[in-house]
Formats: sequence, structure tokens, C-alpha cells
Amino acid sequence: MGLLVYSLDIVVFIGIFAIVALSLNLEYGFTGLGNFGKVAFFLAGAYTYAIVMERTGIPFYLALIIAMLVSAGIGFLVSLPALRLREDYLAIVTLAIGEVLRLVVKTEDSLAHGVWGINVPPAIHWSGMSVLEMRMVNIGLVYFCLILCFILVQLMTRSPYGRVLRAIREDEVAAEALGKNRVKYKAQIFMLGSALAGLGGGLYAQYMQYINPYMFMPMVTFTVWIMVIVGGPANNRGVLIGAVLVTLFERGARIIKDYLLLPIDPINLQYILFGVLVIFLLAYRPQGLLKERQLETKAIEGVQQWKNRSSE
Amino acid sequence: MGVNWAQVLFNSAVTGSLYLIGAVGLTLSYGLSGFPNFAYAEFMTLGAYMGYFVVRQLGFDIYFAFIAAFLACGILGALAYRGVFRFLANRGANKIHLMIGSIALGFIIRHIIGDIWGWPPTTFGIIWPGFDIGPLRVTDLWLALIFTALFLAVIMHLLLTRTTTGKAIRGISSNPELALASGINIERVTLLTWAGGAALAGVAGLFWGAIASISPLLGWAMILPVFAVTILGGIGSFYGVLAAAFIIGLAENIGVVALTQLGLSTEYRMAIAFIILIVTLILRPQGLAKAFRRT
Amino acid sequence: MEESLLRVKEVGKHFGGLWAVNRASLDVARGSITALVGPNGSGKTTLFNVVFGLHKPDEGCVYFNGERIDHLAPHQVYAKGMVHAFQIPRLFYRLTVLDNMLLAARGHKGDGLLNSVVFRQGWQAQERELADKALELLNLLELDHLTLSPAGELSGGQRKLLEIGRALMADPLLLLLDEPAAGVNPLLGRKIFERIELFRQRGLSFFIIEHRLEILFDFADWVYVMDKGKIAIEGKPEKVAKDSTFYKVYLGD
Repeated sequence: MGLLVYSLDIVVFIGIFAIVALSLNLEYGFTGLGNFGKVAFFLAGAYTYAIVMERTGIPFYLALIIAMLVSAGIGFLVSLPALRLREDYLAIVTLAIGEVLRLVVKTEDSLAHGVWGINVPPAIHWSGMSVLEMRMVNIGLVYFCLILCFILVQLMTRSPYGRVLRAIREDEVAAEALGKNRVKYKAQIFMLGSALAGLGGGLYAQYMQYINPYMFMPMVTFTVWIMVIVGGPANNRGVLIGAVLVTLFERGARIIKDYLLLPIDPINLQYILFGVLVIFLLAYRPQGLLKERQLETKAIEGVQQWKNRSSE
Repeated sequence: MGVNWAQVLFNSAVTGSLYLIGAVGLTLSYGLSGFPNFAYAEFMTLGAYMGYFVVRQLGFDIYFAFIAAFLACGILGALAYRGVFRFLANRGANKIHLMIGSIALGFIIRHIIGDIWGWPPTTFGIIWPGFDIGPLRVTDLWLALIFTALFLAVIMHLLLTRTTTGKAIRGISSNPELALASGINIERVTLLTWAGGAALAGVAGLFWGAIASISPLLGWAMILPVFAVTILGGIGSFYGVLAAAFIIGLAENIGVVALTQLGLSTEYRMAIAFIILIVTLILRPQGLAKAFRRT
Repeated sequence: MEESLLRVKEVGKHFGGLWAVNRASLDVARGSITALVGPNGSGKTTLFNVVFGLHKPDEGCVYFNGERIDHLAPHQVYAKGMVHAFQIPRLFYRLTVLDNMLLAARGHKGDGLLNSVVFRQGWQAQERELADKALELLNLLELDHLTLSPAGELSGGQRKLLEIGRALMADPLLLLLDEPAAGVNPLLGRKIFERIELFRQRGLSFFIIEHRLEILFDFADWVYVMDKGKIAIEGKPEKVAKDSTFYKVYLGD
């Protein structure tokens, strides 16, 4: 029974981080934006949800929407100056913004009790609820959101809009010369990506039922990056698989600890292996598990017909 | 209540010295290899732990700790360059891949350190008593830090202007094609820069560990101010870093005074460096370096 | 007399003290093939870059179809009807030839976020139409057998053709071509210009930078010769070719 409950916890985590990973895939995989400050928007969503739920009595879905809007708003503010920067500068700036945000919530006790953290009521809850029931409810909630997010990003990327994103990723000057307003597209994607990360943050906050600033270190951003790289940048299904693999890898060690006796702490070993694996992946399979697929629209049908006609 | 400005100036020199020692390695390797190495944080962490090893576990004097930190981190830097970054670059890695590779390397080093020495924060167990020189409150540690930074500045200046390696570093940073054509052994220079830079990072980490506390996350506590100094100074420029380190040191310490006057928490001290970093990247990403004629 | 389609008036552009373009003025007439020639470093590409919005001019102004455009960004200049093809093709190499063409299309409904997600019927139909149009162009350029190949797999000459094809796909009023026949064999170069002439007959105007003077003089209506950032001479090709200044510019004085 304990193993079942523990596994369900992993399932919830996979769902939450899959949403965040999809948002990063949208930014980096499709549009080429190296956002190294993902955790900032995750944090913004989590803390907005927590603060709103602590101070008001509004229903959880409204709080989640507000969390998404706040994250999107911060994403917009960041995008204004940052998106025209070179990739390494963008990475450093987004990283720094994440740390500033974390510093603010850590220091301003009036916001969310600073380092003492803040308790968060679960979204769906009834008296006498068991841990098993709590986890199942969260799986329902999180995966409902994940499915919506997945459908959204698939629709976006499998369309002419997605084609423009890829063009901006490949050569933004050429895209601009062909009439695409790159500032508009990048800002839209960054805001949307931030909103989705905020959604993940809100879901995380209500699932953990308690958050503090130490849960939002840059390591979270890097974990999500590895999900995208492992799964396959610009392949949404791949990124889902990446989320599964990385979370399993992360949690796996804790189980092994009980069954194997090793000279080295399995959690440390796990991260060391992780690091080695990522380096090898970057060297030998940077496209990830599932490679990017060609855009398929009705245009392809037109090509088929043409080919048939010309071979007559 | 009056502010002891002499103390503020002195503290700025201390902070600036720490950042200078920390940032030299980062700016030179970033400038040479073209990407920010996030594992640099772990180079600093290792330096602190080498100190811990020498002082607490072997029982030697703190002076030997410096040698140990310098050597160990230098070797680590060379290994990181050869084994990870050059390897990835040869396999066609782009800038973002190299950055993620550096993060992965950071994970590896951090968890090896965490496994050997444990995760809870610890210290050297040495107290440096404070004493007064005129209006200033100083400690031996701080004076040693300032002295080390000055020593470093002189050595670096001589290196960059008098030795072939140093001139090569400046040449490669400003004009890679010309450097290649003029027969400079870029590979050797790069390796030396990475090793030397990491060694200095180790020394900086050692100082930080002595001033604050030692933990596997030490490097990450320091890395963003070090990046701020690197960017403000202009990537690849030692003289830029020299100026930027003390500018930011001054900004932080004056900032602390301002924060207390405004009634804000001094925790925001860290934010000062971050904000300088963000503003510099947005307004003038090339930093101060163009103002200097030399690299 | 009809107003010219493109008017460049006393434009100047400098980079760090060096004036790449120095008070250059020229006109491109509607329906013409106008050429811009000159030795390397004379500022031709920089002038093009200013015209289509990549750089802002430090002096002077640019008028297109009667409107002033020198303050506009490239995507806005595109919207006005001017499309630029780069000297070294800036294709989207990981995308297919078809994708490259479709990206150039004007007014694609699917380009907007809301439309792409919600109103899918609208743009699906448009995709078919645009694909047909793209295929016709690709056929003309003899690239249609590579429609679904990644642009990166194309040879140098094919890439240049695709770069031009993409610009044509955009239904422009004026096409800025930067050395369209550079790096390709003379036969193919001639073919490219024959296609250009074809499109001119359909109503497009062309402003072309080209080094291959033999080809240019068979096709161009008007030639501008640029030297050290200034327009040295202009006129009909036969006249310019006989002008002694022309040779001085190219051989250096």
C-alpha cells in the first residue's frame, strides 16, 4: 500500500513538471529562447496561488487563473528588455531574475512569511480524506490541466504559427525580412510559457500544501531543462517522456536506498550519474529521445497531388 | 547616527578583493571559449572544501590550504576543459548545449563534494579576531584578502603585458583569426587559462568559506555576484573585472548603508549585484571593457 | 512623369567613423530592372540593408511607393511590398523547402496565435492554395523535386534559387536581389535572369546588385555605379559601359 501511495506521488510530480517542461519546450525547443529562469515563473505561480488562497476565499480555479496571469505579467515585463539579448546573455539575465524574485519572497515576510514558508490549502478537499484519496484527486486535477496544456501546445506548434516560431529559431533576421514581427512572436511565446509555468507552480503549491523559498532554487530550472533535452527539443511527446524519465530517475534513488547498500549515498550517486548522462546525451544525441518532426499541414496534401499529376 | 565611511570604504575593498579573485578566471575563460561556465560555482566550492580538508582533517596551517585549493581546483579546471567542454565542442555542441553541459558538470562535482563531506554547512573552525586600526575595524582575514587581491592584480598585469602567454590571451580575445594565423598555440593558452582561472576560483572559494560558511552550495551563493562583475567589466577583460569588482564592492557596501537608512532588510545586499548585472545586460552588454584600450 | 517606386535620397550610413554609404541618391522606376554595381566594399549591400530596414540611415531618407520608410523595421517594409533576398542565402535550413516558401507568403491567416489554434479550417484551406502557388514557383526554378527535403540538403546553386523563389512567393511590388547569380555557373545565372525578366513582365520591379556585368547589361533597364559609398555614374547599360569613369571605378584610380 505504501508503495502505491509513493508511486502516486511520483505520478503527480511527473504531471506538474510535464506542464513546466512543455512551457520550456515552447520557448526553447520551438522558438529558440534559452530561458534559464524558468523557476522564477514557477515560483510566481506558486506564491501567487498561496497568497491569494491565504487571503481570500475565492475558488481554487480562479486562484490558479490569477497565478497564471501574474506569471504571464512578469513574463511580459521580462520579455521587454531581455528577448533581444544574445543566448548566453538571455540565460544569465533570466537566471538572475529568478534569484531576485526568490530573494524578494525570502526577505519580505509580509508577503508570504519569508523563510518560514506559507501553508497552502489543497484545491479539492473533503473531511476525512485519506492520503491515497488526496493523491488520486491531485492526479485528476493535474492531468486534466496537463492534457489541456498538451493540446494547446500541439495545436500551436502544428500550425503556420508554429512554422513562424521555428523560422525565428532558425534565423530571426531572415524571418523578420519575410514579414514576421519577431518581437511580437517572442513576447507572445514568453508570456504563454510563463503562464504555463505559473500554472505548474500553482498546482505544485496546492499539492505540497506548503511552500518556502528554498523549494525554488535554480536547480528546478535545470531539472526542467534536462527533461526537455532528454525528451527531445521541439517534440512535445518527447518532452513528456523526458519528464517521466527524469522524475523517475530523481525519485528512484530514494527507493533503492532501502534495498541496496552502497558505499556512496544513492541520492548523490543518482545526481552524479545524471550529470554524466546529460553530458553524454549532449555529445551523442542532442536531438533527444524523440526528434523534431516536420510540420504537416494540408500543404503536404497539395504536394502529393502535384507529384501524382506530374507523374501522369 | 553617523556612518563610518572609512569602514564602508574598507569593507568595499574587502568585497571587491573577493570578487576580483573570483571573477578573473570566469571572465578569461568565458572570453576565450565563448560561453558562461556555470560549473565555475563548483570550482569555488571545491576550493573551500580543500581548505576544510587541509585545516580540519589534516590539521595543517591555513596557508597550506591556499596551496591545496589552488592546485586541486587548477587540475579540476583543466580536466573540465579537456574532458567535458572541449569534448562537447568537438561533437558540435552549440552555446546553449555547452551551458547545459556546464550545469550538468556542476551537478556532478557538487554531489561528489556533498558525498565526501556531507551537505550540512560547516566551518574552518578558525576565528579571526577583529582589531582596530584607527577608525577601522579589521581582521587578519580581511587584510589577507586585500593583500592577495593586490598581489593577483600585479601578477596579472605583468602576465598580460610581459609574457607571451598573457599577450596571447589578449590576442585571442580580441582577434581569434589573427591569433591563429600568428602561430599562437591556442590550445595550450586555453588550457592554461581554464586551469589558472579555476585555481583562482578555488582561492576565492576558500576566502568565502572562511568569511561565511562552507557548504556544497557555496559556489552558487557567490556565482551571481561573480557573473555581475564579469559582465560589468566586459567579458574577457581583466582590467574590466578589476574596475567592476571594486565598483560592485562599493555599490554593495554603500547599498547596505542605504538599505538600513531606508529601513529595508540588508538581505537585499545580494540583490544589488543582481540588479547591476541585469541593468548592464540590458543597457550595455559589452560592459566597461571598451573603455579600456587593452583587453 | 510617374513617381519612382523606390527613391533613395541623400542616404548616409556610417559604422564607427567609416561612411559605408555617403550621400547616395537613386530612383527605381516601376516595372523596371534596375542594377546597382560597383567594386567590393563600395557600399552596395549596406545601401540595400538601409533600404529594407535592417539599418537606420544616419542621413537622408528612403521613399517607397510615395511613403517614407526609413524608420520602419524589416517586417514593416515587407508589409509595404518590398522583399529582400540575401546575398548569402539565409534559408531556414532545418525546415523543408516547402516550409521556407510558405513562410514567405503574405497575409497567411494561420500566422496569428488565436487563428492558428482556434480557427483551423480557415488556414488549412489557405495552406493548400499557398502550396499550389509555391509548387508552381518551385517548378519554374526546377526545385519542385526537392519540395519536402530540408533546405540544408540543397546545393549552393539550388539554395540561391530557393532564396529568390522565397522572395517571389511574397508577391512583392519590388524585389531587392543581392547578387542573385553569384556563385552559380554562367548557364544557371542566365536562367535566373530569364526568370527575373519573366516576372518583370508580370509586373514586378527589381533592384539588383550584381557583379556579373555581362548578364546584367542584357537585362537591366538602368544602372547605378557605386564607388566608395557614393553613386559615381548612372544611366542605360550601354551608355555606362562606354563611360570612362566606369572603368576607373572598377580598376581604382
